[in-house]
Amino acid sequence: MVLKLYGFATSTCTLRVAVVLKEKNVPFEFIPVDLLKGAHKAPEFTAYQPFGQVPYIDDNGLILYESRAIGRYIAAKYASQGTPLLPTDPTAIAFFEQAASTETSNYDPFVSGLAWELKFSMLFGGKTDEARAKSLQGQLSAKLDAYDVILGKQKYLAGNDITLADLFHLPYGAVVLDVGLDEFSSRPNVARWWKDISSRASWEAVKGGI
Amino acid sequence: MVLKIHGHAIAPLVRLVAEVCREKEVPYELVNVEVYKGEHKTPAFKEFQPFGQVPYIDDDGFVLYESRAICRYIAKKYASQGTPDLVPRDPKAEAIFEQAVSIETSNFYPFALGITTEKIVKKHRGLEPNEARLSDLVNNLKAKLDVYEVILGKQAYLAGGSITLADLFHLPYGTIVFEELGYDMLEDRPNVARWWKEITARPSWLAVKAKA
Repeated sequence: MVLKLYGFATSTCTLRVAVVLKEKNVPFEFIPVDLLKGAHKAPEFTAYQPFGQVPYIDDNGLILYESRAIGRYIAAKYASQGTPLLPTDPTAIAFFEQAASTETSNYDPFVSGLAWELKFSMLFGGKTDEARAKSLQGQLSAKLDAYDVILGKQKYLAGNDITLADLFHLPYGAVVLDVGLDEFSSRPNVARWWKDISSRASWEAVKGGI
Repeated sequence: MVLKIHGHAIAPLVRLVAEVCREKEVPYELVNVEVYKGEHKTPAFKEFQPFGQVPYIDDDGFVLYESRAICRYIAKKYASQGTPDLVPRDPKAEAIFEQAVSIETSNFYPFALGITTEKIVKKHRGLEPNEARLSDLVNNLKAKLDVYEVILGKQAYLAGGSITLADLFHLPYGTIVFEELGYDMLEDRPNVARWWKEITARPSWLAVKAKA
């Protein structure tokens, strides 16, 4: 039975899974969850994803949620097809985990916060907290200075091969760029890396929505 | 050469690494970084940790940062000693483990860290907490713990029947929020309370609390 991806066609975390599926050439069926109608908070949904968040997958009865966990699961299960996204050598694995953790602690809080303030809050009838947006931008800027140092020594975040850690940056990075905040272009190594990962066929295929 | 943890004994994520070292019976040396004097922001420090954060480890010349990555490294390198299966190897168990680890980073840590920032970090800097933000963070964390209550009603630990890193990752900031700051979020959540009592009673964590 084909893998089922339950999510929202343009949701960042749903796209985070979709880009990995594409990169690994894994066919999937997309089942839309109507967030605007609150489908993700209904009991039929929270029975599978108790936090009431998208996405989750049903892989022949195995239910999994948290987009990065799903990405890791797909990359490991389909290690022998598509692009290798998880290293196998212990040292390389350690550097991959360092990079994956860097994304969740030194990138995601700031880009997801900016995505909320500058785009998503408006969709839910709120408005931009300008002070918070400014603070987040400043923090993101400082973090990307460190990224520029790292990416000046190696091609990708975990070393010289692309991994899941790089791809995980795509969805929120794209939203922040989309609202006109460009902290990438002014940093030559970050700019090079972003251009590389964002021009991959897998991202091109899903970035506009599944 | 003994594993070196570079950081400050009071830093929550330094304590996390110390905790996992103890679980895995790995001796370590804590190399003090003068965070109150800004040593972690100096160019010399950033040679090893480009974000200017503690901890990082030096394992006989192998340098690694990001506490959760360090913990994974230690758990895997010393898989055959100390507490077993802190990172499961069976593919299905590993998938559920990764889900649990991600739950901690997205559905617990941002709120616990935020509360700690408002109540403790800001105080150190002579700033007042943003009460509206603090209230939001507390309410959000409680809502998340309502879900933990459901999950932990079906299984003993966050990734299944045995303890894993996913549980241990909650120790440092959970201790700050529930114990040091005294937020009572456990009384109405008996499954969470049971789980919290279990993981905080581990001898390795008690040892770290006494002296990292």
